[in-house]
Amino acid sequence: MSSGTKLLTLSLAAILALGICLAGCTGTETPDGQAIPNETATKTAAPPEGGAVLKIATTTSLYDTGLLDMIEDTYEEKTGVDLQISSQGTGIAIELATRCDVDLLFVHSPSQEQDFLDAGYGINHRCIAYNFFQIVGPEDDPAGIAGMDPVEGFRVLYEKGTAGEPGVLFVSRGDNSGTHSKEKALWDMAGYDYETEVQGSGEWYIEAGRGMGETLVLASEKDAYTLTDEGTFLAFQTDLVLVPIIDQGDALLNRYSIMAVNPEHCPNVNIEAANNFIDWIISDEAKEMIGSFGVEDYGKALFTPLYPPECTTSPFNCTCAEPVSQA
Amino acid sequence: MNEIIQGFVEAIELIFSLNPEVIEITVRSLYVSLSATAFASIIALPAGAYIYFNEFRGKRAVINLLQTLYALPTVIVGLAVYLMISRSGPFGFLGMLHTPQGMIVAQTILIIPLITGLTVSALSGIDREMRYTIISLGSSQLQSITTILREAKFAILAAVLLGFGRAIAEVGTVMLIGGNIRGLTRVLTTTIALNTSMGNFSLSIALGIILLGVALVVNVVLNLVQRG
Amino acid sequence: MIEAQSIKKVYGEMEVLHGVELSVGEDDIMGIIGPSGSGKSTLLRILDLIEPPDSGDLSLFDVDVVEQRDRVVELRRRMGMLFQKPIVFNTSVYENVALGLKYRHVGKNEIDRSVKELLEEVGLARYLRSNVRNLSGGEQQRVSLARVLVTDPEILFLDEPTANLDPKSSETIERLVMRMNRDRGMTVVMNTHDMLQGQRVAKRIGVMIGGEILQVGTPREIFYAPHNTKIAHFVGVDNIHDGKVLRREHQITAVEVAGTTLYVGEPPPTHRDRVKVIFRGEDVTIGIGETAQTSARNVLNGTIAEISDIAPFMHVKVDCGFPVSALVTVRSAEEMEISEGKPAWVSIKASALHLIAESEEREG
Repeated sequence: MSSGTKLLTLSLAAILALGICLAGCTGTETPDGQAIPNETATKTAAPPEGGAVLKIATTTSLYDTGLLDMIEDTYEEKTGVDLQISSQGTGIAIELATRCDVDLLFVHSPSQEQDFLDAGYGINHRCIAYNFFQIVGPEDDPAGIAGMDPVEGFRVLYEKGTAGEPGVLFVSRGDNSGTHSKEKALWDMAGYDYETEVQGSGEWYIEAGRGMGETLVLASEKDAYTLTDEGTFLAFQTDLVLVPIIDQGDALLNRYSIMAVNPEHCPNVNIEAANNFIDWIISDEAKEMIGSFGVEDYGKALFTPLYPPECTTSPFNCTCAEPVSQA
Repeated sequence: MNEIIQGFVEAIELIFSLNPEVIEITVRSLYVSLSATAFASIIALPAGAYIYFNEFRGKRAVINLLQTLYALPTVIVGLAVYLMISRSGPFGFLGMLHTPQGMIVAQTILIIPLITGLTVSALSGIDREMRYTIISLGSSQLQSITTILREAKFAILAAVLLGFGRAIAEVGTVMLIGGNIRGLTRVLTTTIALNTSMGNFSLSIALGIILLGVALVVNVVLNLVQRG
Repeated sequence: MIEAQSIKKVYGEMEVLHGVELSVGEDDIMGIIGPSGSGKSTLLRILDLIEPPDSGDLSLFDVDVVEQRDRVVELRRRMGMLFQKPIVFNTSVYENVALGLKYRHVGKNEIDRSVKELLEEVGLARYLRSNVRNLSGGEQQRVSLARVLVTDPEILFLDEPTANLDPKSSETIERLVMRMNRDRGMTVVMNTHDMLQGQRVAKRIGVMIGGEILQVGTPREIFYAPHNTKIAHFVGVDNIHDGKVLRREHQITAVEVAGTTLYVGEPPPTHRDRVKVIFRGEDVTIGIGETAQTSARNVLNGTIAEISDIAPFMHVKVDCGFPVSALVTVRSAEEMEISEGKPAWVSIKASALHLIAESEEREG
């Protein structure tokens, strides 16, 4: 009726139209290439080739490195499959997979992966690459654990922390993420029961309950030790007072794996696309790409790809090169 | 402090360079939240009017419930809707998870109590004697409601704008329902969360400024329309 | 036109109307006076069908409103109400005044004509397109009146319509209302606490105290012959005294008040001998000295006990064995050199005295 109402209707219509059209499009040029990635590949507006869509759930520490955006662009251009990657944390990723909302899991939590497989929810598990977690802490290292074996370092941290030695604090992710799983495994290896002996054992043990970046910031504020993945630490390093204290040792192994959701558990799973993707990512071509990722931004490669027969033995104990598709 | 200043600078750069991905994310934010506000208003305004104009048992309790729901944590709504539309949930067959449409539905649910409750408040602000005047002028039930709604339109618009504000600024719901998938369901708030998690503070601040700018524009447009 | 019987209304714990009886005929201008809190506004709202009574009978235009509830909107459209506070909608003067006509689905041309005509009547034609909120209180009230009158109501209710207004606006409204009654036969029911306005405008007056209509009559009856002391107090009767009927002589009743015999020009109200004698201060003639110069039937001597100024009048209380209050103009008081302690005489005509039966008073 009035001109005002017309203006409103037009604006709304314009926004809606734009929204619908852009719902499938994207552009990619960005300032300094962060979560608006600096790749130049353009996603196609609608997935061609019969519209194959592959949904992947992953963890934040893996996604935040930017590796998956690169993988996505490369794979989409190569095959035309629309990769839809959601990164909300290991816990949510596993829930999404269990509830049949994604086709593929790309995570770094071996114990939880095994549970998933044992329950029959997952199949075609392949390990892809690895790097090491790090124990970071204050520069003056009040607990005196620099250069120790990681399990030994944890033992010392526990003893000194529970004894109330000044300056010995530990910040935990406390959120059932892959990193948190590794931390729990380390306590276990050091001989402590996590729930009864570590959790709530004193003011020295702080449960952050949040993501890696925020946990690092908290640890930095408190001059505390914490366990972190290398990628996030490098990304936040300039804002932190923490330095790597222990970064060697098999116990700090951080293994990244992929697995498909079992079509017997979830009939709607796009198992064909999932298997195709797994086959590609275990290919030498993909592994080479993964192995060189990070040099540009961080000065060093963030991931070491896994090749047979190394991956089949300890400490990896997984399959890394056997194709899954019959074809 | 540096990050804040740098954030402002980056915001201006992003806007003026018409960065395509920022535009895509911004338009999607508007699309999702404006749609949610429109749908929620279509339900909430009549519902609020109905509650206000009618006496019924438990009316007080309903209003209390609505006002309690103002504090609905967004993650809870996100979780509840997720369990509904997940593949393994009752409405999984709709395939709405990880789509902008699903995000619209979730945000609509989130803000309906807010807009409804504030509509009731807006109408309650109408003087009793004004209601008497309208009745004594011989209005029918429908005419009466229309006149009162017209008189309360500023306050009702404020309710709608607040609903929009809550929608466009929330993260919990759109993150769970949308999945923050690049090129598909990413909006301003989830991108800010992602960048913060990655340590890109100044970019987060820049996006935050853009979000506020967008909200300002919507505000101004709706106010102008209202006057017109 | 309006027949109300035993109307009761309760708000929460409080009964506001205790059983109101009222009857208003066509062409009548009924003024309802009473103290604030007596339920006048509530009564008007019930008569205008804005609120329903909790019990009682009400019939408008010979239609029983309780029985024929579905005709309520139809009936409302034959009436209108003006409230104490100007209630205006946030839009133009034109839109405000046109609202009632729009509700009645009147055609645009006719609305235009009627609105402009009525705005002329209230003297606001030049504000046709202005936003009402920019007008003064008095002007807004005139807009409200125009809005009501433009729908040509057969009954007009006014709830203390000029209580907060400037004299010009008040006068415009009074004048217009009376003219509508005269020219169009519009029935008017008006609440007021301004007794002068009541006497000016109303043809009949109803006194409402404590949720009941206690007396209905002409202004003369109300002010000079109230039925009980409650009403007497309210309408400003200064002199109310206990008395005992001595005898009846032709048209005169002799009543003893505090040892003095007063002659009242009306028959006793009942056969009982206990009565109250009342008369207004304005009806008392006063003079200084001992010798009265008057032909009035009742002459008393006494001493001036108290003087209070209520400009332009002066209130003089004379102690004649019982207090007699006289109302004189300040000028007369000055001329007579009235001052406390002086001997004075007061005289009251027999016709100015009125008797109230004691048993008529309600306790509490």
